[in-house]
Amino acid sequence: MAVKVYVASVIQKAVGDQKQLEAEGSTIAELIDDLESRYPGFRAHVSDESGALHRFINVYLNDEDVRYLKGAETALSEGDSVSFLPALAGGR
Amino acid sequence: MTTIPRSLAEALIAHAREELPNEACGLVHELPGGGLEPHRVTNVARSPYRYEMDGLEQMRLEEAREARGERLFAIYHSHVATEGRPSPTDVRMAFFPPGAVDSEPMYPEALYVLVSLAQEPPPVRAFRIRRGGEVAEEPVEVAEGR
Repeated sequence: MAVKVYVASVIQKAVGDQKQLEAEGSTIAELIDDLESRYPGFRAHVSDESGALHRFINVYLNDEDVRYLKGAETALSEGDSVSFLPALAGGR
Repeated sequence: MTTIPRSLAEALIAHAREELPNEACGLVHELPGGGLEPHRVTNVARSPYRYEMDGLEQMRLEEAREARGERLFAIYHSHVATEGRPSPTDVRMAFFPPGAVDSEPMYPEALYVLVSLAQEPPPVRAFRIRRGGEVAEEPVEVAEGR
């Protein structure tokens, strides 16, 4: 399943300085596996130590937040677009 | 020293007040001609103690910057009752993964601007957050006019 991947500026260095690329997978988790196999170290930019999606990484499937879908198990279809974007956040 | 127009300082202060009791947050873009344009971003944390920018709005603004040749000038937020300087959490969150202070911060070129409502009139202060988690204040001069 080929999907379009958009990577925010701050993690583009993890995928060879590309903004957009194609990757394969039938779920978000498989997509991350594919990206990790081609760009070792990519996973560390989007996952925490347990391998789950990082709390402060935003992942969108066609502009829908995957937290409100099935997270890493969200299914992908041919031609989908997936975006990865570290959150801007802070606090007292 | 960074110079910002009074209209920008007032726009950030107005946003901070409107968002009370919660923290306000947003981005300031520098236009190719040098002008500065504030963009409010929804604080999805909706909290007086925390902010987290709406990711889709953040992504749209990044796309707009690229399409129009703009630069990210500043990342701003308000502190509703504490001093206007980056908190330890603000510093941790300037890195990704959070707290990875031995790497470059996510946006090394951007100023971190704080509006504190703990004082009247609210001060607008600017900081650089550097590798190692070091915070350096950048004096802000507010210029008259737009």
